[in-house]
Amino acid sequence: MSRSAGLSIPPEPGAASLTRAESIFVGRFEAMASPCEVLIDTDDSSLAGALLHVAEREARRVEAKFSRYRDGNIVHRINHSEGRPVSLDEETEALLGYAATCHRMSHGMFDITSGVLRRIWKFDGGDHVPSEAEVREVLRHVGWERIVYEDSTIRMPAGMEIDLGGIGKEYAVDRAAALIRARTEAAFLVNFGGDLFATGPCRGERPWRVGIDDPEHPGEAALYRIDMAAGALATSGDARRFVLRNGKRLGHILNPKTGWPVEDAPRSVTVLGQTCIEAGTLSTLAYLMGARAREFLEEQGAPFWIL
Amino acid sequence: MLLATGLPAVARADNGSSQLDASLLLYGEQGRAKVYEPTVRVTRLFPDGQSLSGQLGLDVITGATPSGALPSGVPPPVVPGGGDNVQTMTAASGGGGGGSSPPDSGAIPVTRFHDLRAALDLDWQKPFGLITPALGGHFSRERDYQSIGGNAKLSLSILHHLTTLTAGAGFNRDDVFPSGGTRLPLSDSTIIIGHAWNPKRVNSGMVGFSQILSRRWMVGVNGSLSVEDGYLTEPYKVVSLMDPSSGLTVGQITENRPTRRNRRDTLTSSVYHLTRDILYLSHRYYWDDWGVTSNTVDLKYRHELGETELGRDAYLQPHLRYYTQTPADFFTFGLVQGAPVPAVLSSDERLGPLRTATLGATLGFTAFGTPGEWSIRAEYIRQFGKGHPGNVVGVQRDFDLFPPVNIGSLVLAYSIPL
Repeated sequence: MSRSAGLSIPPEPGAASLTRAESIFVGRFEAMASPCEVLIDTDDSSLAGALLHVAEREARRVEAKFSRYRDGNIVHRINHSEGRPVSLDEETEALLGYAATCHRMSHGMFDITSGVLRRIWKFDGGDHVPSEAEVREVLRHVGWERIVYEDSTIRMPAGMEIDLGGIGKEYAVDRAAALIRARTEAAFLVNFGGDLFATGPCRGERPWRVGIDDPEHPGEAALYRIDMAAGALATSGDARRFVLRNGKRLGHILNPKTGWPVEDAPRSVTVLGQTCIEAGTLSTLAYLMGARAREFLEEQGAPFWIL
Repeated sequence: MLLATGLPAVARADNGSSQLDASLLLYGEQGRAKVYEPTVRVTRLFPDGQSLSGQLGLDVITGATPSGALPSGVPPPVVPGGGDNVQTMTAASGGGGGGSSPPDSGAIPVTRFHDLRAALDLDWQKPFGLITPALGGHFSRERDYQSIGGNAKLSLSILHHLTTLTAGAGFNRDDVFPSGGTRLPLSDSTIIIGHAWNPKRVNSGMVGFSQILSRRWMVGVNGSLSVEDGYLTEPYKVVSLMDPSSGLTVGQITENRPTRRNRRDTLTSSVYHLTRDILYLSHRYYWDDWGVTSNTVDLKYRHELGETELGRDAYLQPHLRYYTQTPADFFTFGLVQGAPVPAVLSSDERLGPLRTATLGATLGFTAFGTPGEWSIRAEYIRQFGKGHPGNVVGVQRDFDLFPPVNIGSLVLAYSIPL
């Protein structure tokens, strides 16, 4: 329709959607293989649209940069370096630095080189379980301590891989939240695949109402409701990806020292942190502690919910 | 743009007369915007041939584009013990839990937008023997745009009324004030440089010549030029950035257009009366200094049906139109990340290589027992483009970047003397 320039219509960013629920705008899109949401406590629809756009762009940027599945990005270059040094940009260096600190402080339980174990474990609800020999073989290529990391360069022995899947989403949440916070004073909540960060409270001193997914019925009902004004939440559990062995469910997070899934892990552990990456790291570590999850979190002093 | 024709034809009467024209346009692009445009026009014709007319129009633009997500099919989560529903969910990763179900479990999530535009037009003309001056004024306003304009025209009838010469001039003072503020061009669209109104001035002129060649045949030639000055960028449009090796989209930047545009066009038209039917044919050639050139060929055939069950003075008018356009010099489908960014650039498909074909028909009649005239016009438009340009990389080669669009429009109109 040829008309005056006045009939301009904002573009639709990919498959994102913006709807209104009570007094907040809810923006949704898919990224990092997960449903992502941005909730904004405002009446301004164009502000909400702009912030949704910011969050989506940042989610896609972080995914493109740090996903194991993209050719040509920094993770790909590191994983195909065959022992040669790879120089790191500031952001990657900071993220790997954080992973290194977690590795040290958890005495090796948190290890981003444990991704190679996926080669022998397939968490599809079936009962295939690898042999001791297979696990031992793959464990030779696991261990952050084997990586040489100095002067903005990383050198990784051939056969090893880094996988930022364990902290990528949480990192993207923190980054998106920072970008949104720079643009508005409105309360908001960013939720990428179940890992979230919120500022607030909402107008009228109302907290955000966050449900903890019922591990027995994933995606269908909330088992518990957390009312929070601000903070970050991350949940670890085995609800969706597991292997059956002797009728027992073994969750999908592997102990990097044994190469085996954790036994007696809690069904679902949710941790409240100051940043999403902190909450995510704590919930993962708590999960890896198995029966000691509660004890571990009490020592850390972070609010948590184990279901 | 000024038109060579004047006001709608109104039956003359010695005491003068008035006429009311009402119309409703329904326009929809498949999967994209929908427009509803009701208009009402009142025309008063005076005994001395003077006429005055006012038109009020509304444009309601809505878009309800499905986001691609499917309805969840499950009711929203209810926390045991009652209380309000949760707003969002935290869950272990591995397939979801990121969000609560939509409030209505059967609803398809959509991106909604709507805009409302109101326009008022006033026109006046008066014949003084062989010379007829005309004046017009326009005002329109929508959420992010305002237009105020005026035009003046002079027609001169010579050579026993067989030849009519027309000359006209117009000016428009428009202002653009994008929602959320004016974005910084060629950057990520989060940087707002201000909330002031951005002016856009359009000055135009036209000359026209129409000649009655025989009892049956009239031809006309028009030329017009216009100069636009000011904020000519589309405030919400962006250009995608592609990764140099994979071609995947990794970001986007706001577009930027020049601040000046010189436009010219020529329109040649012919009206040929057969025994009862009329054949209308026209060709328009357009060019501007942005590199856009276009050709439009338009054919209409008015077939008189006489008296039918619907009413008397019925007619059926099929319509064919073909339009082709070459892209603006600074049009691009996307920019490779890391490549130097040109000073002006746009991915707006309305500035791209474009072809449209229109097929439609109008049915008009005067209903029995009423003096009013009805018409219904239905049109199907298909927009094509060159979707596989040479300069894209990676996976973009596999995508049709300019998929065809199906567009439909329906106009219902009613005219009645008052």
